[in-house]
Amino acid sequence: MNRVKVLQAWLWCVSLWPCWLSHAVPLDCKDETGSLIQCTSISQEKLLDRVIQHAELIYRVSEESCTLFEDMFVPYPLYALRNQGGTMCHTKPFPIPGSKTEIQQISDKWLLHSVLMLVQSWMEPFVYLQTTLNRYDDAPDALLNKTKWVSDKLLSLEQGVVVLIRKMLDEGILTPSIFEHTLTPDDEPSPEIPESVLRDYNLLICFKKDAHKMETFLKLLKCRQSNKLSCLSY
Amino acid sequence: MRNSGAVLILTFIAKLILQAAGVSPPGKPRLTSCRSPEKETFTCWWEPGGDGGLPTTYALYYHLENSETVYECPDYRTAGENSCYFNKNDTSLWVNYNITVVASNALGKNISDPVEVDVVYIVQPNTPENVTAVVVHDEQGPFVRVSWEKPRTADTRSGWITLIYQIRVKQEKDEKWEEYDAGMQKYYNVFSLHPDKECMVQVRCKPDHGFWSEWTQTTYVKMPNYIPRERSLWILITIFSIFIVLILTWTLNVKRNSMKLCLLPPVPGPKIKGFDKQLLKSGKTEEIFNTLVIQGFPPTTDYENLLVEYLEVYDNEEQELVLDGKELSEDFMKSKSSSDNDSGRGSCDSRTLLLEKCMDGREGSGSDQHQYSQHGETSWASTESSESQGAEPGSPESTDGRAKTWPVVFPQPHHHYPVGAVKPAYHNVPEILNQLSPHATPSNYHQLHHQDIPQQELRFSKSACRHSQSYNQFNLDSIDTPAPGVPPLPSLEYVEVQRVNPENMLLLRPLSDPNREPERSDCTGEDYSKVKVVTSHNILLLQRDTSHQCVDDYSQADQCTTQQPPHPCKPAVHQWNSVMPQEGMRVMGNGYVDSTVLMPSF
Repeated sequence: MNRVKVLQAWLWCVSLWPCWLSHAVPLDCKDETGSLIQCTSISQEKLLDRVIQHAELIYRVSEESCTLFEDMFVPYPLYALRNQGGTMCHTKPFPIPGSKTEIQQISDKWLLHSVLMLVQSWMEPFVYLQTTLNRYDDAPDALLNKTKWVSDKLLSLEQGVVVLIRKMLDEGILTPSIFEHTLTPDDEPSPEIPESVLRDYNLLICFKKDAHKMETFLKLLKCRQSNKLSCLSY
Repeated sequence: MRNSGAVLILTFIAKLILQAAGVSPPGKPRLTSCRSPEKETFTCWWEPGGDGGLPTTYALYYHLENSETVYECPDYRTAGENSCYFNKNDTSLWVNYNITVVASNALGKNISDPVEVDVVYIVQPNTPENVTAVVVHDEQGPFVRVSWEKPRTADTRSGWITLIYQIRVKQEKDEKWEEYDAGMQKYYNVFSLHPDKECMVQVRCKPDHGFWSEWTQTTYVKMPNYIPRERSLWILITIFSIFIVLILTWTLNVKRNSMKLCLLPPVPGPKIKGFDKQLLKSGKTEEIFNTLVIQGFPPTTDYENLLVEYLEVYDNEEQELVLDGKELSEDFMKSKSSSDNDSGRGSCDSRTLLLEKCMDGREGSGSDQHQYSQHGETSWASTESSESQGAEPGSPESTDGRAKTWPVVFPQPHHHYPVGAVKPAYHNVPEILNQLSPHATPSNYHQLHHQDIPQQELRFSKSACRHSQSYNQFNLDSIDTPAPGVPPLPSLEYVEVQRVNPENMLLLRPLSDPNREPERSDCTGEDYSKVKVVTSHNILLLQRDTSHQCVDDYSQADQCTTQQPPHPCKPAVHQWNSVMPQEGMRVMGNGYVDSTVLMPSF
C-alpha cells in the first residue's frame, strides 16, 4: 500500500513537471531560433543601461544615415531647399519641453512615457522611408541597411521601455496611442526628385532629433535613479 | 515715366558721388559659428563684411522652425563683439533656429545668409580645469598620473551632458604629441616616459555628440632619474655572457697545448741524425763532417734492396734437427707471419741503425743467439731469422722473420758494438764468421724454405743473385774454416757461387774475378721475381718476368747429378727438378732460381 501511494505521488509529480517549468518562467523568452528558453531576470539598473545603449546606437545610426543621404544628393543644396520648403517635423500628442530646466522638472513617469511615445511615433515613418529609399536609383546599400536596422531596433527599444515602465512605475501599458502622421506613403510614382528628396531628408533629420531626445531623457532618468538628490537640485 | 527715369538717373549720380567720396552701404556680414558650451545656452558670432566707410550697426534676427515670429538677439554684449548670446530661457533644444545678421549704416543695410542651428548639435564644452600631473613612484618604475576636473559649466552630474576626455603628452625634444583616450574618467596614468626629461601634458573633452573642446594650458612635470627595468635585463645578460667567456677562457687555458698543436702544428725543423749542433757552434768543421759521414754510406743499390724485403732461407729439415728444435720452432712459428710489409719498421731495421736498441735486445737473448750460432752457417737464414728475432725481442719486426737488415743479422753475444757506431755489414761478417764455431755445417743455402708464405707476398729482392752472393760470402767464410781451400776474402767484395759441390758446399769466387763469366753480370740486371706458386714440398715456384739474361748452367746441374747421384746434392737437384716443371723458371748452376727463364729440361 505504501509503495503504491508513493508511486502514485511520484507519477503525479512527473506529470505536473511541465507546469513547474512554466511557473519557473515568468516571461516568455525566445532566443534566436525561436524556441522557448528560460528567461534570465535582469536588474532595473542593467535594463536601464541597456535601454540607454539602444538609444545611443539608434542616434548614431540616424546621424550616419543623414550624412549618407546628404552625400547622395551633394549637387542639390539641401539646406537651401529646406529653407524654401519650410518643413517641420510632425507634431506630438503632447509637447515635449525644449529646455533643460523644463525637462528637469518633468517627472520620471513622464520621461518614460515621452520616450515610449517617441519610439512608437517613429515606427511607421521608417517603414515608409524604406519604401521611398528603394525608389532611388543610386541609394547606397549602407543607407538602406541602416534604415532597416533602425526599424528593428525601434521595436526592441519599445519593448525595453515597456518593461521599464512596468518595473519602475508598476503600471501596465496604457493603450498604445495613435499618432497622426503628417507623412503618408506615396503610392504614386515618385515626383520630381527634389521634392521627395526633401521630404525624406526632413524625415531623417527629424528622426535624428527625436533619437537625441530619447537618449537625453533616458540618461536623465538614469542619473535620477542613481542619485536622486543631486540630479534634481542642479 | 520721365519722373521715374529722372529718379533713377539721380540715384545713380548720387551713388557715383558717394562712391567717389568713399562711402557705401555695409558689406554683407557672415555668421561664422554658433556654439553651446553646455547644451543650455549658446552663442553665435558673425563677421562684418565691411562698413563702407560709415558707422554700421549689426542686428541678429532669428526665428524658430515651427513659427514665423522673428526675434532679435537678446544679448549682444556678454559674448563680446559681433556676437549674440542666447541664455537658458531663450534656448530651445531639438528646434532649429534660423538666424540672420543684418548690417546697416546710413546708406543702407545688408543681410547675411541664414543659418540653421540646432543647439543639440553645436555643443562644444569648455576646457577641462585643474589639470595636475604628479610623478608616482612604483616598484616597476615611476609614472605620471594626470588628473583634472570637468569644465565648470558642463552638467555631467545630472547626466545632461556626458563628456569624454582626451589627454596628450609630449616630452621635451619630441616632435609629436602622444594622445591617449581617457574615456569618462578624470585621471590617467602615463607610463613609458623617459627618465630625467620634462613632460608636457594637455587635456581636452567632448560631449558624446558634439565638438572637441580646446586643449588646456600645458602642464609641466619632470621625470626623475631612474634606471629603467629593461636595463636590469641587460645587466643579467651581460653577467651571463661574462660568465660564459670566463668558462671558455679557462677551458682554452687548460687545453692550451692541444690548441696550440691544433692551430699551429709544429713545423719540423731540419735535423740530421747523429749531427751535433754543438760541433757546428764550436766551429770544428772536420769533426762535423766526420759525424756527417756514415760508414757504409752512400748506400748502394744493394743496400736498398736489402732493406726492402728479404728472403728467408732455411735449412733442410735434416739440419733442423741439429738446432734446438724447440726454440727454433718457436722462432719459426714466429716467423710464420705472412706480412711482407716492412712499413712501420723503424728502429732496428733502419739502416742508419739504432744499434743501441738492438743491442739491448741482443743482450737479453744472448743465450739464444749463442745457441743459434752453434748451428752456424748451416742455417744462416734460420739463424738470421731466429737470431734476429732473439736479437730484437722488443722490436715488432722480430716476429716477422721476413725482412732483415744485414747488420742486424749477425749479432754476437760477446760483441758489443759501441753505441752510435755504425759499422758496415761487411766488416761484421768476417768477424762473425771467424767467431763462429766450426760446427757450422754447410747447408744448402739455396734451399728455400718457407712456411706458408703466400705467394703474392713473397718477393725476391732485386738482386737475388746478390743476395745469394752475400750469402755466399758468409758461407764462404764459414766454409773457410772447414775448408781452408777457399781464400779469405777481402772486405767489401762480392763473391758469387760458382757451383755446388757434391758435399753441399758452395764454390765461391769473387765478383772481381776476371774469369767471371760475363753472363753473371747480367744477373745484376735482375729485378724482383715473383713467386708463382708454392708447391707441396714447400718450394717456391717463381714466375718468369724478365729477359733471359742469366743463363742457366744446366750443365753444372747435370754435373752434379752425374757425379753423385745418391749424394745430398741429389736431393737438392732432385728438388730442383721438382721445382722446375713450371714455365718461366730457371735454375742456375750456382743453385739460384732465376726468375727469368725458360723451362729447364732435366
